[in-house]
Amino acid sequence: MPAADPISSLVAVLWLFNVVLDTAGQLAFKAAAGNPDAGDGLARWKHMATRPWLWLGITCYVGEFLVWIAFLSLVPLSEGVLLGSINIVAIMIAGRFLFGEKLTRLRVIGILLVTLGVTIVGVAG
Amino acid sequence: MKRFYLFGFLLLMAFDTLSQVSFKYAGSQALPVAASMAWLARVFGQPWVYGALIGYIGAFFTWMSLLKHAPIGPAFAASHLEVVSVMLLSIWLFDEPLTLPRVLGASAIVAGIVCLGLAESHQHDVDAQPGAAAS
Repeated sequence: MPAADPISSLVAVLWLFNVVLDTAGQLAFKAAAGNPDAGDGLARWKHMATRPWLWLGITCYVGEFLVWIAFLSLVPLSEGVLLGSINIVAIMIAGRFLFGEKLTRLRVIGILLVTLGVTIVGVAG
Repeated sequence: MKRFYLFGFLLLMAFDTLSQVSFKYAGSQALPVAASMAWLARVFGQPWVYGALIGYIGAFFTWMSLLKHAPIGPAFAASHLEVVSVMLLSIWLFDEPLTLPRVLGASAIVAGIVCLGLAESHQHDVDAQPGAAAS
């Protein structure tokens, strides 16, 4: 694929923006939702609404919303959702570093398989 | 608890699928892409973007309820099985061919997602022993 093609470079930039915004948004939501002191039900939602994490997550999602619409308008939907699966890999690696979630052997195999699939679609799709 | 997860993930998948299909319709009707108010006006000037919004909001509340108990990585992975439903719908709705790279790529991705799901259930066997399930 020639790098000079303006449409495909735009697709690549939008794809990258989507990964970054999605990962940041998910991590912010995890920080908002995972607080054990937040209580239950309505009290939990009130607690989350008064802290920045929920709103940071929502801001990332608004940006991702627009980026994703633009991305999908340039690629076939089936290819777009497959390429978007790289978010799984990004979020698991980020979860490992920020929340200490374990990367067991099975998870590493899963990450490698998803990456392989995205690569196949990205290169040959 | 298991039924809670199953229902939650199916609901999440339905909302996600609605969103993706709506995103595609919304984006296609707003072409060409530009970082401009005109593009935003085209996006929000037709009904499909609101279908995407409904799917997003539904998925958001489903997701936040699930995340309270599930670890982020595997829960996220389980939510991504929507690639299969979206791919199948794309053949029918958008006449997108099921090319060999897409089938191979999707198979690797789904296999990866299954591994991540298995990793999750192993983790749950370790974590969710007596008294762990509150709801």
